[in-house]
Amino acid sequence: MKFLISLAFKNLTRYKRRTLITAGAIAIGLMMYIFVDSMLQGAEIESVRNLNWFETASARILDDDYWESRFQKPLDLNIPDPDKIINTLNVNGIAATKRMVFSGDLILNSQDFGEDGNMAITVTAVDPERDFEVFEFGRTLSEGRFLKPGEDAVLLGSWFAEDIGAKVGYWITIVTRGNGGFYEAMDLEIVGIVNCPNPNVNRSLVMMPFGTADEYLAMDGAATEINIKLPDNADVDLEVVKIQNMLNGNNLTVMSWEAMAVDYLAIAESKRGGSGMIMFLIFLIAAVGISNTMLMAIFERIRELGMMRSMGMSDKEIRMAFMLEAAGIGLIGSIMGITLGALANIFIIYVGIDYGFLLRDMDIGYRIQAIFRGVWNPGTIVSAFFAGIVISTLVAYFPTKRALKMDIPSCLRHQ
Amino acid sequence: MINVKDVERNYQTGETVVKALRGVNLDIGKGEFMSIAGPSGSGKTTLLNLIGCIDKMDAGEISIKDEAVSKMKKKEKTNFRRKYLGFIFQTYNLIPVLTAYENVAFVLSLLNVNEKEIELRTMAILKEVGLEGMEHRRPGKLSGGQQQRVAIARALIKNPEIVLADEPTANLDSNTGKEILELMKRMNKKHQTTFIFSTHDQMVMDYADRLVILHDGQIVSDEKR
Repeated sequence: MKFLISLAFKNLTRYKRRTLITAGAIAIGLMMYIFVDSMLQGAEIESVRNLNWFETASARILDDDYWESRFQKPLDLNIPDPDKIINTLNVNGIAATKRMVFSGDLILNSQDFGEDGNMAITVTAVDPERDFEVFEFGRTLSEGRFLKPGEDAVLLGSWFAEDIGAKVGYWITIVTRGNGGFYEAMDLEIVGIVNCPNPNVNRSLVMMPFGTADEYLAMDGAATEINIKLPDNADVDLEVVKIQNMLNGNNLTVMSWEAMAVDYLAIAESKRGGSGMIMFLIFLIAAVGISNTMLMAIFERIRELGMMRSMGMSDKEIRMAFMLEAAGIGLIGSIMGITLGALANIFIIYVGIDYGFLLRDMDIGYRIQAIFRGVWNPGTIVSAFFAGIVISTLVAYFPTKRALKMDIPSCLRHQ
Repeated sequence: MINVKDVERNYQTGETVVKALRGVNLDIGKGEFMSIAGPSGSGKTTLLNLIGCIDKMDAGEISIKDEAVSKMKKKEKTNFRRKYLGFIFQTYNLIPVLTAYENVAFVLSLLNVNEKEIELRTMAILKEVGLEGMEHRRPGKLSGGQQQRVAIARALIKNPEIVLADEPTANLDSNTGKEILELMKRMNKKHQTTFIFSTHDQMVMDYADRLVILHDGQIVSDEKR
């Protein structure tokens, strides 16, 4: 075995350039794997965080029938006394805030916006005093100020404001239907622009004070949802069950963020599948490269192979020698690959890639506004390292097997 | 020691069957220094390959040390070669990335000999073939004659019963060829190793104690000197 290892190592140095080129192909494959995996994992972690911070919270209490009708945003499927539930949750150490979500038409007048027009919007009415306990809008204000209770004011998402040409101080009119179906028009001043890391929010956010909406829409203090924040390390499903039990029915249901973001999770899953396919192709290309190198190495040494077989070296030992050589190429490629991968990781973690130009106008599912940042994933780096060696070793098996099919006299005659 | 009985070997080239050996019979005793001679295509190398258990025959039987090697399975033949046979090739067939020492020593490592003994025996055999001080040279830094000496050392290191040499001097000039033949003969006398070599060179034939001449796959002359 010692001789086989020594022979394999020496053969690696025999054609240095070829060894380096093949190891380089493996290295690039592994680097891509580490890099893409880091970026996708980073995107997923950040997306989940941005979903929790700006869209879904950790969990949400809704009327039993609300989720099925959520696209209509019905005001009559509501939580009649949200403050009582929030107090109960607070007593149990759970942060919660009420919200009211309704649809309406945004009326734009030519005086401020250059031309008259209207567009369908979704309005989120928040409790300005407690919303920060659950959501993270506090640090996202790019212009103006946050909402005050009871004022006729709105906050807009930055991209939305940019699209309609809105500025702080402008007035907008929202026409909607109140609880019971009556029409209501609200004139609201834009008091702030929010620029948050969640592109979906930036693209569509219209936020107003809960009390103002309650008065306009005759909700009598009812909310359409109560959003709950759970600690980062909490078992969300378990907590959801606990809260559900705490509610004692009351025609209310608790949904985890995962249940609400099922569409996002499906997209993330399909992206992982697509990325897996790309990774497979990268490895396939590297494997073909190794196989080709080993094929050339073996066929250049057919006479040597014949000599070794004549001397009584078994096919198993010869196969082992070539597979060890391929493992050596894989080892060099893996070391280079994880080094390059680590460097690429440092770049994507600390600098990131700005996809803002793409994400501004296109929803790709991820809740990331512009910069994709990676994460360190030791498991991926370790598995990439071993995959490089194992794949190299395995692909050398087939050309060696082919060469060993030649009889010894033919090997010795080989030119 | 070696008994070759009614051995036939045919090669198929396209639709033509070439009869390389046609019923060859031969007995070779221990310690013989024997040459198989004949023109190109007479079957010299084929006969050597069959005795060396690296080729298959179509008919007949070969036994070495009373073992019917022709009936052995592939693995058994490999083990037999490993233990009892040494080979010397026309083109030396040394491993270019290994030093002279390593090219010789690897044969013993196949036999699981311990490191210390490998070192002692390898140094001794290299000294015996006149390569003392050149142990760490790679084949590229050795002359043709020196490379063939390494190949002889490699063939002899395990003290084989039989050494088979296919045109061992064909790639060497006449003086170096003589040196190699003298070395082989010396080894033959010292270790009582049976040497069988193929050649079509008269000078090489003159060194042999027994000369077997093949023609068209048949023995036409078998002369002991």
